[in-house]
Amino acid sequence: MTIDQLIGAGVLAATLRLATPILLAALGGVVSERAGVVNIALEGCMLVGAFFGVVAADQSHSVVVALVAAMAVGAGLAAIHAVAAIHLRSDQIVSGMALNILALGLTSYLDYQFYGTTGTPSDLAGVPDIEIAPLAAVPFVGDVIAHQNAIVWAGLALVVLIQVFLFRTVPGLRLRAVGEHPRAAETVGIAVRQTRYWAVIASGMLAALGGAYLSLSVAHSFTDGMTGGRGFIGLAAMIFGRWTPVGALVASLIFGYGTALSFSLQGASIGDVRVPVQLLSTLPYVLTILAVAGFVGRSRPPAADGIPYETEGHA
Amino acid sequence: MASEPQATPTGPATAPSVRQPTAQWARGPAVPVASVVFALAIGAIFVLLSGHDPIAAYIDLFRGAFGSPYDITETLIQTIPLVLAGLAVAVAFRTGLFNIGAESQLLIGAVAAGAVGARFADLPGFVLFPMVLAAGIGAGAGWAAIAGYLKAARGVNEVITTIMQNYIVVFVMHWLLQNGPMTAPNALGTPASAPIGAGAVLPIIIPNELVPLTRLHAGIFLAIAAVVVFWFLLWRTPLGYELRAVGLGARAAAQAGIDPRTRIVIAMAIAGGFAGLAGMIQVTGVFHRVFDGFSSGYGFDAIAVALLGKNSPIGIALAALLFGAFARGGSIMQANAGVSAQLVSVIEAVVLFVIAAELIVRVLTARRRERKPLEAIA
Repeated sequence: MTIDQLIGAGVLAATLRLATPILLAALGGVVSERAGVVNIALEGCMLVGAFFGVVAADQSHSVVVALVAAMAVGAGLAAIHAVAAIHLRSDQIVSGMALNILALGLTSYLDYQFYGTTGTPSDLAGVPDIEIAPLAAVPFVGDVIAHQNAIVWAGLALVVLIQVFLFRTVPGLRLRAVGEHPRAAETVGIAVRQTRYWAVIASGMLAALGGAYLSLSVAHSFTDGMTGGRGFIGLAAMIFGRWTPVGALVASLIFGYGTALSFSLQGASIGDVRVPVQLLSTLPYVLTILAVAGFVGRSRPPAADGIPYETEGHA
Repeated sequence: MASEPQATPTGPATAPSVRQPTAQWARGPAVPVASVVFALAIGAIFVLLSGHDPIAAYIDLFRGAFGSPYDITETLIQTIPLVLAGLAVAVAFRTGLFNIGAESQLLIGAVAAGAVGARFADLPGFVLFPMVLAAGIGAGAGWAAIAGYLKAARGVNEVITTIMQNYIVVFVMHWLLQNGPMTAPNALGTPASAPIGAGAVLPIIIPNELVPLTRLHAGIFLAIAAVVVFWFLLWRTPLGYELRAVGLGARAAAQAGIDPRTRIVIAMAIAGGFAGLAGMIQVTGVFHRVFDGFSSGYGFDAIAVALLGKNSPIGIALAALLFGAFARGGSIMQANAGVSAQLVSVIEAVVLFVIAAELIVRVLTARRRERKPLEAIA
């Protein structure tokens, strides 16, 4: 085991790459849950984003069209969840599970019907990397950030945007009010259900962008179930980050670093003992349980998170 | 009315409603059956859109599941873990808990059973089998009890804990099987453990002359026994009464002297025991070892099984049989009709969604409401 394997530029660059899909899902979770709707369909939204991004890229040969299509389908899946959670007052966990199963089944089904067993086309339009020429020559820093993908930067920008939106703007305050105390919010004239609809739809778009990042920036292909639970890690990052965008970023970076380490330490050993790299991958989940249980800080959800809202007099 | 967060001693209630509609017609199997029919119709649309004949596809699905004695035994093999995992979800539901962790409880039960079965492979069956059984059930129960404890003692939502636990077990299994203490050379082409001892293997229960090549094992008796235990425990014992009381209202139960916190830990342990048994049966009955990718998501299908079966013993058994038939028939349908077996996941998702949204109940209730005035006039 060497220092380079622990904190080398390669590991840190990989941390950013691996954190990005988690971060986008986590941001989706933050927006949705701050408005009071639990959205565990983030995993499904990512998966449809990954798949339909590839389909659109294949059909249109345009990255922009592909990303728009991915986010539109993600928004669509989230909209179903929104109708179930907000309008029909379904159990939000069951609805989210159903949509996750639907997304996995539907994308695998269509993948088989569209591309058979040969896999998706190899000449897909991919999301480009952003080369920062002046930084490229800078040692270390250049290796970490000079060649990152456009969506990595988009994710970081979204952290700032959503943080400012939620905590420094009036619509953001309203969204949070809807998640903390919907009755009070409605009393002052905020449209509770409408706000929640937009929040859930936005969360689907964010998660789908994370999915499209996996298929169009990293893998340049789609394989069944390729999100592999990253939507759930995103959920964990949201919780560990205490339902804030900046917190979600920190959590995503920690989780991404854990995964980057598990790659760079593959086959490494301390003394005679092989490093059990797979156990590093449990880090996000263990930390999250500890955080929610209050052993590491204390993570508390918005007060009305997951509770359907009924207008007064509707009984 | 109640839109304010309802603070119970253990945090807001999270389990989906198991409330029964008041109308007589909605108490029976009408809603589950209608949900499945609706989902099959949606599935048919998908088949049609992808240029295939839905009737032919469904015939292949049915034939694949029940077309021959061999197919039926294969369907039953798929049904067994679904029944047990379904019970694991249902025990929790009945206690007002949402157990999304049946998958990891099943896996950890399988790992424990596989480890004990391989480590003590030379012991005779009458010693080894009880050890393996206890290991599987105990591991599942202990693992699930963690989620129960965190809920009871620290107010942690069990949905979060059990989701996280699902992934923890997956990666622990990667480690155990790829370069950990359970890694064993094998010809499977996937990381796997050493085989369990012959004494722990569940026997095939149908003679080869009757159904050639059948793999149906004695685990089916354990599954049936578990359904009976589930019924007896919940409806014929004081503990079951207390669990259901907590499920119907933790605060009221507390008023009646039933401490919800201990019951929550107990309920999760029982749930994990059922799921652990499912994993143990997959090891001793089907695979005879543990390997990467061991479960095809039985613990997640179990949520649909429990909800479709209305958390009742017979309902769970029937719902598990339905999804077992889907799992078996789906692969045959893909081979024969060229329709991806993933269609059954789409159908399952629609079933789950329809039940979550209580769509059938809403539609039927709405129609009945419209009719009422006419009846009044008549």
